[in-house]
Amino acid sequence: MLQPSAPAPNSAKQGSPVIAELRNVTKSFTVAGGSEMKVLDQIDLAVHEGELLALLGQSGSGKSTILRCLTGLAQPTSGRVLCYGHPLEGINPHASIVFQTFALYPWLTVEQNVAVGLMSKRMSSADRDAAVENAIELIGLSNYHAAYPREISGGMRQRVGIARALVSEPEILCLDEAFSALDVLTAENLRHEVIGLWHKKDTSLKSIFMVTHNIEEAVEMATRICILFPRPGRLGLVLENHLPYPRDSKSPEFQSLVKVIHETITTLTLPDHPPEPSPVSGAPISRARNRMESIPYVPVGQILGLLSILRDTPDLTNIYDISNEIGKEFGETIGIVKAAEILEMVDTPKNDVRLTELGQRFLSADRIGRRQIFCDQIHNLRIFHIIIEYLKLQDEVDADQILKDIASALPYDNPEKILQTMVAWGRYGGIMDFNASARTVFALKDEDDSDE
Amino acid sequence: MLKRRIGLQHEQWPLLAFLWATGVEEIKLRLALGALCLAACSPMNPDLSHLPAAEHRGRFGWLDVVVLGGLFGLLWSVLHFGQGMLVRFDESAMQPLETSVWTIPYYAGRTLLRMWVAFGFSLVFTFAAGYAAAKSRFARALILPAIDVLQSVPVLGFLSATVTGFMALFPGSLLGVECASIFAIFTGQVWNMTFGFYHSMVTIPADLQEAATTFGLSRWQRFTVLEVPASAHSLLWNSMMSFGGGWFFVAQSEAISVMNKSIKLPGLGSYMASAVERGDNLGAFWAVVAMLFVIVTSDQFVWRPLIAWADKFKMELTEASQAPRSWVYEILRGAYVFEWLGSNVFHPMVDFLRKLTRRDVTPSTPVSGGGSRIWKGVFMAVVCGFGLWVGVQALVGVIAAIRTVQQAVSLDTLGKILGLGFLTLLRVLCMTVLATLIWTPIGVWIGFKPSVARIAQPLAQIAASFPVNMTFPIVVGVFVAWRIPMNWGSILLIAMGTQWYLLFNVIAGAMAIPNDLKDAARTYGLRGWALWRTLILPAIFPFWVTGACTAAGGAWNASIVAELATWGDTTLKADGLGAFIADVTQRGDIPLIICSIATMSLFVVATNQLLWRRLYGLAERRFRLD
Repeated sequence: MLQPSAPAPNSAKQGSPVIAELRNVTKSFTVAGGSEMKVLDQIDLAVHEGELLALLGQSGSGKSTILRCLTGLAQPTSGRVLCYGHPLEGINPHASIVFQTFALYPWLTVEQNVAVGLMSKRMSSADRDAAVENAIELIGLSNYHAAYPREISGGMRQRVGIARALVSEPEILCLDEAFSALDVLTAENLRHEVIGLWHKKDTSLKSIFMVTHNIEEAVEMATRICILFPRPGRLGLVLENHLPYPRDSKSPEFQSLVKVIHETITTLTLPDHPPEPSPVSGAPISRARNRMESIPYVPVGQILGLLSILRDTPDLTNIYDISNEIGKEFGETIGIVKAAEILEMVDTPKNDVRLTELGQRFLSADRIGRRQIFCDQIHNLRIFHIIIEYLKLQDEVDADQILKDIASALPYDNPEKILQTMVAWGRYGGIMDFNASARTVFALKDEDDSDE
Repeated sequence: MLKRRIGLQHEQWPLLAFLWATGVEEIKLRLALGALCLAACSPMNPDLSHLPAAEHRGRFGWLDVVVLGGLFGLLWSVLHFGQGMLVRFDESAMQPLETSVWTIPYYAGRTLLRMWVAFGFSLVFTFAAGYAAAKSRFARALILPAIDVLQSVPVLGFLSATVTGFMALFPGSLLGVECASIFAIFTGQVWNMTFGFYHSMVTIPADLQEAATTFGLSRWQRFTVLEVPASAHSLLWNSMMSFGGGWFFVAQSEAISVMNKSIKLPGLGSYMASAVERGDNLGAFWAVVAMLFVIVTSDQFVWRPLIAWADKFKMELTEASQAPRSWVYEILRGAYVFEWLGSNVFHPMVDFLRKLTRRDVTPSTPVSGGGSRIWKGVFMAVVCGFGLWVGVQALVGVIAAIRTVQQAVSLDTLGKILGLGFLTLLRVLCMTVLATLIWTPIGVWIGFKPSVARIAQPLAQIAASFPVNMTFPIVVGVFVAWRIPMNWGSILLIAMGTQWYLLFNVIAGAMAIPNDLKDAARTYGLRGWALWRTLILPAIFPFWVTGACTAAGGAWNASIVAELATWGDTTLKADGLGAFIADVTQRGDIPLIICSIATMSLFVVATNQLLWRRLYGLAERRFRLD
């Protein structure tokens, strides 16, 4: 049924024509300090007629940017966007968007909000009324005509968003994390309805392009799944998904597809390293990091929480189970595990997560002992040496200076977020602190701050 | 909710009612303002207006009689008072104002009309300048600094110049003086409104903007569906505050002596002035009552209904626990006449207009200004030409001013003006400190008691609106009787008008302290100074900065009228820049006028930069409650 196929995206779709596509698209943004951050790198992606394409990626991987390029809201830095073979100019007339935040106008009624979707069209009042009524009927919003968005529930709001997108009869419906602001039950219900809409033959709607970070959502809905890897965003695995609708998330086929995706993400994010000597107390030997490695934007508290859970439930080793246990999205869990891993508190053979000896020692240490271990581990991370080197020479460093250095060391990361995380870790390790009003990072002078 | 059962068309009618209170009020200027009227009538985009209302009631009731009566009354009074603006005016044979108490209603009407005309112009300017600043980087670079400087310039100092200018523009008609008065009110309120509109334009959430883009809304549709509604709430509050500040200028600009001539426009301010001159205490009393009445009516009949209506333009998607209410709004909403007018007059008109305009646009092209390139070019040319003209005029003006000043003012005089400026600065700071010490405890006490605050806050707002400068002569009479030196007394005069900004901001700050913080303080037994230091003072600090900055800004303007005051034959004068400006304005000494006004502007800009902006920054960084 499912055939994991490496970058040949069109294997099963050769017959159906392409509606819109990105060709070799690269996109960069200017970040703090004025440097360029590349979010998308050479993306080739096509939306074919009749497919439900899901683009799966963690937050910050650039998937929303892809959607914005495809709909004409954003222009790529380089590369081309084509629609029915012609270069796209301005807004894509064949696509419309459903937003994560609904993006409804609070001062317009449901009916008026839906009619916004037709404003750019020249048509008679009667036609317009009929189209609005039709869209409202289609998505099950009858009796809500005169309500204002703030008076209805989140699920109903998103229905208005969908009706507004459908009213102009687009060929592609673009869902930008459309279900992630809804509660579980409402989202599930709405997903079914969207699939139903796509199956309907009497509408102009041909394809759906959805962007999501939810793996099961993608497997439940899509006929084709593309996985986007971050920093910079680039397409990894492409999967065809021919399971029949309605799909049962408990079925083995469904589960095995989810597993394939999990494994792919895990191996690419947490690659297995060759066995290494177990760390000796205090000694700064570790994996040689001869290039700067990024750190995940994870607060210290979550790393500690992960370690505690691993200690308290020794049976819990599979990263997927851990993700369920702590109630976080898989992408977020991976980030936390990765943070613990680069601090050498855990090891990740295959899909498992295990406490290292250092992690054990860290957990059983007292407050000062923990801080000392954390401090030593931070010293092993090359990225921290940007700041540590400065602080050897002077008591405080200008944050903008550090941001610039981070930007040049990690061109695909958001320097502000990296600095935030570094300061948070550095505070816990008793190394540094941040002065918000002067925007400087300064060294913590502390009686415990021994330097070996 | 009751609100829901009334059809959507109905909701938009109070806006039209509002325009009838503002836009159509100046029937004489209808041609000029008609365009605005149309523009503002359709924030509820006309494209949507034909959608069927949820419920038609189709019955006229007694409410409609009341509302219709009100509307016709309004129309009549606009015509009536408007006529007075155009009467012949001869400088040599100016007849004195009538002194009968029974003329007060007419004068009140004239004053009110002046206010609304000025507000109408302010609104047009706000939309034009605010929109340009938000949309074009070039315009932004020009407009924002200009507004920053202009709002620091003491408007009253300019009166003499503008009066002569406008009188030359309309020779032999009172319209010139009328325009000068309106201009003074306009300059008093417009900068704040423009800046507020610009600010809300640029803070419209990105997703709402993206939705407008992706659904291909044209500029006009974007403006009416997104940009005006998104800023309506803040624009309205801003307008209300600015309008309140306008009373001060209308009262002052109605009776002015300039170039050794005393000109009086029929109005409450001038009535008051002449009553005081004659020693007519009863007349003065009734003038004050009438002024209060006019302020309260404007508030109740225009601002409160508008605020109640504009509640739906708030950004947040949660329902407010306590929506603002207004009895006038309830009446207007209950009247069927608007709905009838809407479906029988307004919508057919809109449909007709749309049919007329449809022809020039080629169908089925996504709207993005396709065929309007020529218009765009013409528009840009007009804007550039106008900008160039203004720039050249300003440059010529500045050069001329510098030349005059260079020839006529010695360095000694300049030093003297600077010294006087420091004296007034001292007075302004003194006033701010004293008002803070007095009103902070009272404001906090009020703010902690919601039942008291509900009454006290609107009262403080009305007090802030009331033009106390009307009553200065009386207070000065007391000074004379008690032999209070004007150098100190003027501090009180300044404070009389501006302290209220501090009070109601402190009240608002105290009311905004979250209950859990108060509960926590109570749990840990904080009281007395400890409570003030840890909770109250930090929490109200941002509000205090806003209040104090507004008060101090107003105080500079007030000093022009507060440092030099007359009671009968006695003239009391304090040493200060305000008195100096008032003096040279009266004498018509142009070089000194320019010099002193420039100095005062400099002082205001300097205190803004050195003091208030830093305090704002501090409040923003350290004392935000979120």
